[in-house]
Amino acid sequence: MNEQHQDQAPPPQRMRVSLFVTCLADLFRPSVAFASIKLLEQAGCEVTVPLQQTCCGQPAYNSGDYESTVPLAQQVIALLETADYVVVPSGSCAGMICHHYPKLLQGEWRDRALKLAAKTFELTIFLKDIARIKPQFDAPPSTLSVTYHDNCAALRELNIKEQPRQLLQQLCGIKVNELQQSEVCCGFGGTFCAKMPEISGKMTDDKLNHVIATGAKILTGGDLGCLLNIAGRAQRQGKEIEVRHVAELLCGDMDTSPIGEGR
Amino acid sequence: MEQHSDTFLANASKALKNSGQAERRDKIGLLAPQIRAAAIHSFDGFDELRQHVKEVRQHSLNNLDYYLSQFEKEAVQNGNQVHFARDSEEFNSLILDICQQHDARRIAKGKSMVTEETGLNSFLQGAGLNVRETDLGEYIVQQAGETPSHIVRPALHKSANDIRELFQQKHDLGARKLDKTSDLVVEARNVLRKDFLQAEVGVIGANALIAENGYSMLVTNEGNGDLCANLPKVLIVCTTIDRVLPRAEDASAMSRLLARSATGQPQSCYTSFYSGPRREGDIDGPLETHFVLLDNERSNILSSDYREILECIRCAACLDHCPIYTSVGGHAYGSIYPGPIGSVLTPLLTSLEQSHLLPNACTSCGRCAEVCPADIPLPDLLRDLRHEEGIKKLSPQRWRYGLKLHAWLARHPPLYQTLTAIGIRILHRLGRKRGRFSRLPFADGWTSQRDFPAPQENTFMQLYKAKMKQNNER
Amino acid sequence: MSGSARSEIFSRLRETGRGETAENIQRERLSLGSAPAPAPPAPEMCQAFILNVLKNQGSVDCASNRSEAVRAIAHYLYAHFHSYRLVAGNDPRLAAMPWRDAGVLPRFGSLQAGEPVALSFARLGVVETGAILTWTGKANPAANNFLPEHHIVLVDKNDLVPTMEKAWEKIHHAVEKTGRPRGIHFIAGPSSTADIEGDLVYGAHGPQRWHVILLGDVPGDAQNVARDASKPQS
Repeated sequence: MNEQHQDQAPPPQRMRVSLFVTCLADLFRPSVAFASIKLLEQAGCEVTVPLQQTCCGQPAYNSGDYESTVPLAQQVIALLETADYVVVPSGSCAGMICHHYPKLLQGEWRDRALKLAAKTFELTIFLKDIARIKPQFDAPPSTLSVTYHDNCAALRELNIKEQPRQLLQQLCGIKVNELQQSEVCCGFGGTFCAKMPEISGKMTDDKLNHVIATGAKILTGGDLGCLLNIAGRAQRQGKEIEVRHVAELLCGDMDTSPIGEGR
Repeated sequence: MEQHSDTFLANASKALKNSGQAERRDKIGLLAPQIRAAAIHSFDGFDELRQHVKEVRQHSLNNLDYYLSQFEKEAVQNGNQVHFARDSEEFNSLILDICQQHDARRIAKGKSMVTEETGLNSFLQGAGLNVRETDLGEYIVQQAGETPSHIVRPALHKSANDIRELFQQKHDLGARKLDKTSDLVVEARNVLRKDFLQAEVGVIGANALIAENGYSMLVTNEGNGDLCANLPKVLIVCTTIDRVLPRAEDASAMSRLLARSATGQPQSCYTSFYSGPRREGDIDGPLETHFVLLDNERSNILSSDYREILECIRCAACLDHCPIYTSVGGHAYGSIYPGPIGSVLTPLLTSLEQSHLLPNACTSCGRCAEVCPADIPLPDLLRDLRHEEGIKKLSPQRWRYGLKLHAWLARHPPLYQTLTAIGIRILHRLGRKRGRFSRLPFADGWTSQRDFPAPQENTFMQLYKAKMKQNNER
Repeated sequence: MSGSARSEIFSRLRETGRGETAENIQRERLSLGSAPAPAPPAPEMCQAFILNVLKNQGSVDCASNRSEAVRAIAHYLYAHFHSYRLVAGNDPRLAAMPWRDAGVLPRFGSLQAGEPVALSFARLGVVETGAILTWTGKANPAANNFLPEHHIVLVDKNDLVPTMEKAWEKIHHAVEKTGRPRGIHFIAGPSSTADIEGDLVYGAHGPQRWHVILLGDVPGDAQNVARDASKPQS
């Protein structure tokens, strides 16, 4: 689908984008949402943030509480369906809207969910393939040493792999130092990490060992859930790694403290 | 089916502390996916094949009554006796009856998950029979008095050294040291060769039953199943009623998926099709052959929302690719079917009450569904089981109410935003210096293993609204 | 017990089944077509077959006629056992081989404990998987496939088929006349196991070595592939 877009004529000057902030960015890391807005504007979009947004419903949904998720999904659909595009700085929340709302809902709501799914994109895929943000050809090679954590939903539900890497290269001159076993889950899994903490901790340690092995100073990724988990475990284990959301890196925000670090 | 999945967390905790086993599991978690990927990479039409086999499997299950009765008719015509068993008890008794009719004392057994499911070995041993597992991994596990920890690699949890010590205890080794892996294999080969030649009854599983001609398909690499099928006077083929495929070609198409997904081979060493007893002119082979076909909940699963799980071909790719399986190993699941497939199947074959922790042993990472050659949406089925868990109120109350409260709040944006703004501000104040918390009330699941990152000062919604207001005033 | 189990199981299956007629069911199966097969590793059949046999850890030899085949067998037997003995089924094609030309001493029948080598004449060779196909009967008792230390298999070049689907076509055709054989065996390599720490070891229960001799007018390129593989690795 994305290749198609690349072959078409350039997009109209002002794409109207609604940002779905995600609850984790709203509560724990507003800088991710501000960075997203900045990047979208840099790509020539007109960004609005629907004010009545809260959460996409993943916690209840993943726990199997479909009854609580349905009204929440309907609320999100009603809020966002008038937008031209919806952009989400999270693979798992975008995956929830694009893949799971249509599975969860039926009848007219399913149709509405499918329509919303067709115009909802994760941030990096939108910037790269839809808005086609201009590369900074004069961006000097960055001195930052960065590795990238692929979020499972981004990777497997949305086929996001190259887009964030290309953006880091083209906008910031950052060449990603790749992780071994990059397609393996970091152990977050939403409520999983709190329900089965010991297993989750082992999985995060495996991920951290691969992170440390790259020698990178910064770990980035497109999903705050994973990043909060990995940062928290690194800090508990005394492993030195700065964890930052990819939107922050892409817009050059290095002033905000890394996740879980004081000022 | 015997199981102890209710202690999954304790089992897992114990497994995580066994560093030797953890290392071997990590190795499988690293190597098995690479081997599978290489095999599939060299086959352009793999996805198309997967789709084709899925359609054929669905078609067979949609018309299972037709195909099963066609199979039965053909198998009887081929000279077999075909038996049906509703549950493990009936299944085990049927097999014991056959053995007793022949005054059999020694049984040579090929690998069969179905007989693991019914606990056949201990049942027959209880009746005084001598049952010998002949697949090397199964033999090792049987000698050690354990259960398999993996569907295709039963002794994955054991090191070569463990096995050497086991053979030293169980075999008369004399001065032999069995230093190399190949020495261990030869030792087992020599011991088991006698069993093959002496057994009166052979018991094997089947990867598929073929409706059009009444053959069963058996896929192995060791050839032990074929020795069980050809040397003893009586052969019993054990499988479940859902394994029927319309045509022989369909079984071969399935074997294309199976070998690549299980071991990365284009075809396993031995793919054998058996039709029945010795024919006129044959100079070897069994004189009497039986099929024992088990239901054990399959007919119920077929009419449930979980019917896709019956399309599983038991390749174990979902185990090898599951980070939870490779972290805790098969025994932690407390069921002979571990990993993602087991976490769906175990509750369906036993009860959700006994095994509701298993569907929670999942991060929804989706890797199992990605590699599943039968294209089974395992994470969806696991989530559906968590849905049932909630309805049956089996999950901890605090979780259920907590998530319901969160979902309710999220449906009331103004209240949600006011409360989160207050909460976040408090958290920020408490944690701003260090930037994180080592302990937090209500988040002990999180903070038992990791620090909790402190939030930035305000919620995005607060900041954004303030900014909008400022812009408007300008 | 079994009778009531049977009727209960079938009645449950009928409830969930579609209740279609046999004709409709067969028509639907036909409409699903055949499975895709992997592309062969070389366009020419002999070469592709040889490459796949080698991949299955078999060893390969080529013989342009029966006399050469006997010499190749003699060579193999002497190299491994310093002997010219083997066991073969009562296959008329094997009985007619000029054994005396190379001094090979076959015993015809079923392999007995202690006899190390069996020879089979394959019904078919499957290029797709590098497997040979035999079925049980006088011509090839099952024990000869599974009990020897070394299993030598002759495959006539004209009996190569590209895929398993083609193999089944031939099998169906052949058994129409003779009746269904008790066992049909696709064999693709020596017996192997990786059950101990993932280390691959050959000769788990069946043959440790599996040697395929491709008989007939095998193209030079294919012969070269077989020859290169049989050279000792330096």
